[in-house]
Amino acid sequence: MHPEKPKHDFEPKIIAFVCTWCTYAGADLAGTSRMQYPPNVRVLKFPCTGRIDPVFILKAFQQGADGVLVSGCHPGDCHYIAGNFHARRRFAAFRKLLEFVGVDLNRLQFSWVSAAEGGKWVEVVTELTEKVRSMGPMVEFKELALEEQWSGAIDTPELKEAYEQI
Amino acid sequence: MTQPIDTSIYAAVTAAIQGEAKRILSEGQVTAIVGYAAARRKGSAQPIVISQPDDAQKLIFTPACVNNLAVYLTKAKKEIPKTGKIGIVVKGCDLKALAGLMGESQLKRENLYLIGVPCAGVLGSTIQPDTELTSDSIAPKCTECNERMPPECDFVPAVQVPVNQGLEKKYAAEIARLEALTPQERWAYWKEQFSKCIKCYACRQVCPFCFCEQCLCDRNKPQMVETTPRPAGNFAWHIVRAMHLAGRCAGCAECERVCPMDIPLNLLNRKMAKELKELFEHEAGFEVQEKGPLNSFTDKDDQSFIK
Ligand code: SF4
Ligand code: SF4
Ligand code: FES
Repeated sequence: MHPEKPKHDFEPKIIAFVCTWCTYAGADLAGTSRMQYPPNVRVLKFPCTGRIDPVFILKAFQQGADGVLVSGCHPGDCHYIAGNFHARRRFAAFRKLLEFVGVDLNRLQFSWVSAAEGGKWVEVVTELTEKVRSMGPMVEFKELALEEQWSGAIDTPELKEAYEQI
Repeated sequence: MTQPIDTSIYAAVTAAIQGEAKRILSEGQVTAIVGYAAARRKGSAQPIVISQPDDAQKLIFTPACVNNLAVYLTKAKKEIPKTGKIGIVVKGCDLKALAGLMGESQLKRENLYLIGVPCAGVLGSTIQPDTELTSDSIAPKCTECNERMPPECDFVPAVQVPVNQGLEKKYAAEIARLEALTPQERWAYWKEQFSKCIKCYACRQVCPFCFCEQCLCDRNKPQMVETTPRPAGNFAWHIVRAMHLAGRCAGCAECERVCPMDIPLNLLNRKMAKELKELFEHEAGFEVQEKGPLNSFTDKDDQSFIK
């Protein structure tokens, strides 16, 4: 029997970009060990954290993610030797950029989860989901995506004048 | 308060550049020289490529010589470097771009003849090229410049650059102002700035470091960045641009100068430069570095943000 699932007003959409060798295996372990964690997370697997381009995170937010998790092998454990070291620098810089343009960094989480750390995966996912749930939906990027440069409305005197001259 | 900026050395600099250009061209040391020449409007200047010693007299240096000529060696005129050793007139900021390009294996030092310019500053905008150089009209990048004498060039005119006393550092001030705002206010600020963008890609075209044959932002399978000039695609473009230049940008501010919509692009570049300095002690300089801060690492890098 599954434990009773609590009902929430808002179910955040969490996108997790994970490396296939460690975190994906860790998540798999959590699954095969029948550990429970929020089903809000959608896992996308990559060969290595070094393959995770910051633009993927951006795209995730634009496509409606409320939170993003990036996770891979612990430093020293990367199967391509240095992918996660490069990723660590890249994301350190990317966070600063996002912060500067006004993105709340609480929606973006990075972690090292090894293939043996099913428990840590559950912990990280649960914590991020609950944090994002309490923050509510990420509206900024969605608003941008819905906004048109020009709505088609003729709502300024200049436009009106130009329109009437046609 | 507006202070005048002493550009009296530019006459001597012009004469010295002309003399040197004539010499190296007639001695056959270089096949061509990329420099500045007077353009049609009074006081204006434009890039020029000369290959005849007699054309050396066309070269000038004035406050309107804003362009970073390094871009001519990477993409706009890709065929130039192929003709042989090239002379190029460089200000300090342009030289940093060249150093960066050498680090990225785009250029070789031995194929260049560097004519350094002792620089007192250039104009922020050349819409009115005949403007006098003052603390108001000077390019913001020049208020933060600490390298008025480009080092390790093959030739630098022997003149002394007058020191500019305490110009207000415009980017530093603006970055501090934005950092003090709330995230929502910052988002609103950038949203407004970015939504002005018309995706003309002039900023990309002029940047010496945007030399990729195919830009990620032009690809459509998969499409990472929406190409239409709508707010979402604009936002993505600007973040990707800033990110791809982080740790590489030389700070020449050409992107900001050419933007027809007056988007403060260099503000993002400066902010990233500041952060990379704090995080990885990296700064764009004159030294050719084989690896930039984002393609190297140490095992001690900060990971306080990672669980
Ligand atoms: S990003 Fe702008 S300031 Fe930096 S090198 Fe390119 S054109 Fe120059
Ligand atoms: S130059 Fe300005 S308007 Fe053109 S693409 Fe760059 S930021 Fe946008
Ligand atoms: S293989 Fe897992 S981070 Fe590189």
